[in-house]
Amino acid sequence: MPATISATLQSIPEVQAAIAAGDSLFLAGSRNALSQLPRGHWVGGTISYFMTEEGGRQADDRVFVTPIPAFALDVRAEDYGPQELARIYRDAPAHGFTLIVLPAGTQVHRLFAEQAPSFDGFLMRPVVGWVTGVPVDRIGLDSPAVFNGGTGTVLEERCAALHVELPPNKMADLDIVNIFESADGQVIRFDQTGFHVAQCRIAGKPVNLADYISENGISTELPLVADYNGTSINVSFQKVDPVARTVDLFAPVFPGVEYRFAKPVEDYEAAFARQITAEGRGPFFSCNCILNYLYGHLEGKKTGCITGPITFGEIAHQLLNQTMVRLYLRDI
Amino acid sequence: MLPDASHPVWELIATGKRPLESHKPTVNLLIHSNKMSYERDQSPANVQHMAAKTHSFFSHFEALFPAEIAQILR
Repeated sequence: MPATISATLQSIPEVQAAIAAGDSLFLAGSRNALSQLPRGHWVGGTISYFMTEEGGRQADDRVFVTPIPAFALDVRAEDYGPQELARIYRDAPAHGFTLIVLPAGTQVHRLFAEQAPSFDGFLMRPVVGWVTGVPVDRIGLDSPAVFNGGTGTVLEERCAALHVELPPNKMADLDIVNIFESADGQVIRFDQTGFHVAQCRIAGKPVNLADYISENGISTELPLVADYNGTSINVSFQKVDPVARTVDLFAPVFPGVEYRFAKPVEDYEAAFARQITAEGRGPFFSCNCILNYLYGHLEGKKTGCITGPITFGEIAHQLLNQTMVRLYLRDI
Repeated sequence: MLPDASHPVWELIATGKRPLESHKPTVNLLIHSNKMSYERDQSPANVQHMAAKTHSFFSHFEALFPAEIAQILR
């Protein structure tokens, strides 16, 4: 049966009706909005920011809907705690993809960020999704959450997943849009994996990163960028503490990876428009980073033709920062 | 048609001795993951494991990555 609802920002009654009709849905909305939905075939996460056809906007009374297409052979909702997270790729269908949501700042978020590349099945089973959040003026006051609509539970310490099996003539194809590129500065290396760092090595010499950022007047709106064989992968700054001389990041840095500070981006809207080329059929799912929304002043502005939630971290196989993620379902 | 799993090209790609250029993030994450693994452990067992994984990856996603497959077959 085809989905009864289209992929866009919808009212709560429209989403309630689609769930009642048996649609399988991947949802993004405020805790209040998602709490009003009945049990059914859906998972979702808390967020109040969206890329819409009219531009970026905040909405607490609407839900961004990604309906699972009717050609999917099987759709299965599950949730995972820290002890079970390592089997998420193994649980994913051999031919299909998995959509996930992780609550920001939790152990499952940290575990996924640091260890996903070592999980069995990494890259072989496409995993796409995002990190849930709260309105920025409620950070530290409210808790991000995920919802498993199958069990009717709100989860603040677990990952929710929708495993989707595809027919043989379809294939999930992941893409990322990164408007940042490395500046020509010196290489930065880290000796340990983590979200919280003090020391690094710059041009081979031990340096305190917080001191280096302060002394050189570096904007922490610009991420660190690593080159993964030609694909730029960002790590964004959360906080620099000049007293404790530490830096908190929105994704972990890894030993053995070379990082550089990013070049400034003057106009985020134009940068996205340049990178997003129109295709006949748009992505099945997309999300973009809250830092791009805030730093790029994207409220009311478009990100090419792409719509979806604006998130506290993006997932395309692994955790990403300040990046747009797109999932296409290709005919093969 | 892809070379079979025992073909030496998979070890060359897995160890980075045969560079693979791609605009596809999934491919580049695989190449990067292999690079990190090879820097940590250059044992024959690990190289064999990486080669097998690389072969499985391209076998499964053959339809998505024709430009990369063309480089492998070159």
